[in-house]
Amino acid sequence: MSDVSLRGVRKSYGSLEVVHGVDLDIKSGEFVVFVGPSGCGKSTLLRMIAGLEPISGGDISIGGRVVNDIPSPQRGIAMVFQSYALYPHMTVYDNMAFGLKLAKTPKAEIDQRVREAARILQIEDYLERMPKALSGGQRQRVAIGRAIVRNPKVFLFDEPLSNLDASLRAQTRIEIAKLHDTLDATMIYVTHDQVEAMTLADRIVVLNAGNIEQVGTPLELYRNPVNTFVAGFIASQRMNFLTVSPQGNGLALRAGRLLTLSHPRLAEVRTIGVRPEHLELASPEAAHFFGTLSVIEQFGEYALAYVELPGGELITIKLDGAPDLKLHDTIHIGVPPYAVHLFDAAGRALR
Amino acid sequence: MKNQANPWLTSNLWVLGLGMLPAAILIGALLYFTAWAFAFSFTDLALVGRKSVEWSWVGLQNFERLFTRRGFLESLWTTVIFVFFSAIVGQSVLGFLLAALLRGTQSSIRNVVEICIMLGWLLPDIVAAFLWSATTSQTGLINQLFIIPFGLKPINFINEYALPVVTIANIWKGTAWSYLLFSAALDSVSREVVEAAKVDGATGFQRIWLVMLPIIRPHIATNMLFITIWTFTYFPLIFAMTGGGPGTATQTLAVFLYNQSFSRGNLGFGSAISVAMLVIVGLLSLVYLRMLREPK
Repeated sequence: MSDVSLRGVRKSYGSLEVVHGVDLDIKSGEFVVFVGPSGCGKSTLLRMIAGLEPISGGDISIGGRVVNDIPSPQRGIAMVFQSYALYPHMTVYDNMAFGLKLAKTPKAEIDQRVREAARILQIEDYLERMPKALSGGQRQRVAIGRAIVRNPKVFLFDEPLSNLDASLRAQTRIEIAKLHDTLDATMIYVTHDQVEAMTLADRIVVLNAGNIEQVGTPLELYRNPVNTFVAGFIASQRMNFLTVSPQGNGLALRAGRLLTLSHPRLAEVRTIGVRPEHLELASPEAAHFFGTLSVIEQFGEYALAYVELPGGELITIKLDGAPDLKLHDTIHIGVPPYAVHLFDAAGRALR
Repeated sequence: MKNQANPWLTSNLWVLGLGMLPAAILIGALLYFTAWAFAFSFTDLALVGRKSVEWSWVGLQNFERLFTRRGFLESLWTTVIFVFFSAIVGQSVLGFLLAALLRGTQSSIRNVVEICIMLGWLLPDIVAAFLWSATTSQTGLINQLFIIPFGLKPINFINEYALPVVTIANIWKGTAWSYLLFSAALDSVSREVVEAAKVDGATGFQRIWLVMLPIIRPHIATNMLFITIWTFTYFPLIFAMTGGGPGTATQTLAVFLYNQSFSRGNLGFGSAISVAMLVIVGLLSLVYLRMLREPK
């Protein structure tokens, strides 16, 4: 178990800078998820921590020791790759034992550690198989097992679930969460999937275009996103954004009623954000705006209604149960004032 | 497996036979030449003179001569040395090292080296032979640059070290193939697997020896198969550089076969040599094909 800290970490390829000075403290034993769209620099950041990518500036410390120039094996890290990266010519046992053999660990200890990891991951029956004789989920376990036997201070996961199918992904997600609890290790996990981020993380680091947008617990990010990017990225259903203009004691929607609100900086508000689960159906008299139902997706436990406003914007409403709505119906929507996020012209949240 | 062919086709033997004709002709031609060489290896057929028309069957006499007369066994040994050092050690190892070293270097450096390697390959054998003879002769470039300036007596390399010179020339000429094949093979090794080995603590050498080489083992076997067969029967470069000499110093089986068949005109004996070469290459291929098999 070890803490990891990044100080002004930069990465550039030639004149192109892709990570612009990242500062981050990861506490010992914490599960931190780097999340962001593709190309945001999250994998690069992880690879720099792993020592697979030289850093162009700043300092990376693991356990209080600056590791900028220390090669990967001596950093006390283990990494799980997206493609599993198993050695195709070695059995499962040898895959897991490879690092220990290279480190000249005594045979008996290798055996004990490999079998212990295999027991934790329930892959004891496959130890003598070759990787190609395993399913995707089993390969993933072997890859995690290979990381466990190294007994690292920090686990690094690079999109480890993206090659699995949906149901296996959900299952493995739970297992990784359990594993973090069992092993009590620091884990850094990269994903573009915000569900993985929300469910696994102690803290989420939202990255965009090589910068950290926000760091916080999943619920902090959900409740108080600092800008429209984080607001739009976190949560299963994307937040709805509506352009508004401040008017007296409220905000005027482009096609709708005045939303009565009081806020010290009301005059600066240009956009409001409301999550689909917070919008509600309302009577025509009480509604703030209305639109035409263009698509409805019924999931049984809830439904997603996509409503086209007169101005052409498409907004999503999440409705509990199975609402009885028909396509092309006019839908009247109410906005509860407590659920409204306010953003200024630059997309920054106004608290 | 389900037969997916058109039922009209499969029920009509004439149509089927017609469709098979080109393949049958091709296979027939291949078999004909092999059978010809095989058949005439039991005769005393000559290139010119009376025996070119009135040849007769001599049984196994030609094959006995392979082992009883001077020439064949010496040439076989020369060929083995030539194949081992120029193809297996030289081209293969050098090709692999270049491919491994150039992997991950800047593309500009890589391009320059690749073009240089390819030049040897693209140059016609005869031109290459002339260049190498000229460079390694008594008055050649190597003597002018490295021997004479140090006040040493010039050495006629092509004459005194004929087999090594021919071997080096063939390494220079043939490395491109191995380089290209290994380069492509190494590109097929997943980057993440190599990185995983790096995180596991493998040094650069260990990553190559314990991870990359075993993964590309089938490619290595394929390459060995090709270059062994090619080098075993390789003729133009050696013949143009030395003609097999001095004496029989560089007389590989291909040169020996040529000399026997066309200089001496012993086509029957020459056929026996070619049959022997076919058997040897066939046996070598079996060894490599076993290597190609996936491990259980």
